[in-house]
Amino acid sequence: MTGQAAEVWRFREVVKNFVAQDLKVKYRRSALGFLWSLMNPLLQMIVLSTVFSLIFHGIPNFTLYILSGIVCWNFFAASVDGCAVSILGAESMLKRQYFPKLIFPLSTVIQNLVTFVLSLSVLLLIVGPFSGFRVTTALAVLPLSFACMVCFTLGVGAIAAVATVHFRDMQHLITVFLGAMFYLTPIIYPLDDKTIPPSGEPTVTASGAVELTGRAEVAKGPIPPQYRKYFKINPLFSLLSMFQRPIYDGMLPTRLETAAAVGISLASLSAGLLVFRRFEGGLIFRL
Amino acid sequence: MGDQHITLEDVHLRFRMYSTRNRSLKEVVVNALARRKYGKPFTEINALAGVSLHVAHGERLGIVGDNGAGKSTMLKVISRIYPPTSGTVRYQGFLVPLLEVGIGFNFELSGLENIFLTGAIMGFSRKEMEKRVDSILSFSEMRDFANTPIKYYSSGMAQRLAFSIATEIDPEILLLDEVFSVGDIHWMEKAKSRMQTLIDRSGILVLVSHDMKLIEQYCTRAVWLQGGRIVADGKPAEIIERYRAST
Repeated sequence: MTGQAAEVWRFREVVKNFVAQDLKVKYRRSALGFLWSLMNPLLQMIVLSTVFSLIFHGIPNFTLYILSGIVCWNFFAASVDGCAVSILGAESMLKRQYFPKLIFPLSTVIQNLVTFVLSLSVLLLIVGPFSGFRVTTALAVLPLSFACMVCFTLGVGAIAAVATVHFRDMQHLITVFLGAMFYLTPIIYPLDDKTIPPSGEPTVTASGAVELTGRAEVAKGPIPPQYRKYFKINPLFSLLSMFQRPIYDGMLPTRLETAAAVGISLASLSAGLLVFRRFEGGLIFRL
Repeated sequence: MGDQHITLEDVHLRFRMYSTRNRSLKEVVVNALARRKYGKPFTEINALAGVSLHVAHGERLGIVGDNGAGKSTMLKVISRIYPPTSGTVRYQGFLVPLLEVGIGFNFELSGLENIFLTGAIMGFSRKEMEKRVDSILSFSEMRDFANTPIKYYSSGMAQRLAFSIATEIDPEILLLDEVFSVGDIHWMEKAKSRMQTLIDRSGILVLVSHDMKLIEQYCTRAVWLQGGRIVADGKPAEIIERYRAST
């Protein structure tokens, strides 16, 4: 694997070039450039939070909850989609010049990472103040969250890229797979019950303690408790928790979630690199 | 660098030509479920069948042979585009393959962007390429089209640009396929002298061509490929004569 890394490193200028070109096309060629890439998740968020807050009513700051998950999901889905066709799309280049093929999915993931970081920050700035976003020390976990997400996505993307070269109809399967995953991952609904802090006037009790009038309510997650454990098997559950916990709940992800996210992302990356090492040589003959 | 070389040791390259070019998962699954007995889905072609070759620094090698003899494939194996099925391919030196149109052009991007991309592929940073952009654009006469996507270029224009980039980055090992060398008469005159300088400056040249005059003019050594094997190796004049006699 160090060989693969060294080979990719030798082509770092090409990766830089691919990423820069893609971002330029996305952000410069149209006047609204970057705004468009924000509009998409923003509108998605508005629609989803409007529709689903009617279904799962009572969940506090539902917009922020959706925001914390949907931007990550968009990164994952757009990357896997892009990776799947990244090698196929480079056919004409690959037939004229040697490239380590890994740079194609890698560039795709990096391009999407830039959009991911930018749109998450900007959306938090825009939507955050109106949806109960709090800056807490828990946000310090985010660099690790991004690292896990990128490793996991690159692993899946690399496998998707190889698979699509072997079987052209893989793209359709990937679309279906991503569609299913979107609903199986707690993005537009929370898996756990969310506690709504009591609202009302603070009163001082006889013993001197300050209490809020009214009682804390619990908004039930839509998935019955006995099935929730199965949803946690989904690798994206832990990976998204790494974002949802600090951004929405204002707390660190649990130790189990963190361990799972790190483990899953490393496993995915290794699997991707292994598949690549095994099949890379034959790809050119199947283009 | 005196130790530039290309070394091929018993290189075999077997292609699989699939009967249906684009295989689908559906097809594989359906065939497996139906336990359909179908003939081999592909035919194997021995494009290279045991080629051993050493090209030393200073040599200008011409490759001759009939269509399908494996000439272009050999260039692609040397430049690592095709990994060999067995055997080893090694080279030392800064290698630039000029095969079909474009070096590794992305046809969606503009001429200018492709200059930087090609530079990056060759390992040059943006800064290093910026110094070269001006002379590339003026030599290729593409300044007016610098910001036009390559897909709108004629193939001649794309080749001019590729040629100009290649001649600007000074390869140590130059692989040249004859399909690369066309253009209008005005351009060919201009390109000729530059090509000569390019060839003179490169440490090693490997040229594939059906034009025997070209081989005689540029090469110091020639090999004759037939059915993926080297059948003769020697002075260009002698090899060309034997090749001509065989047909």
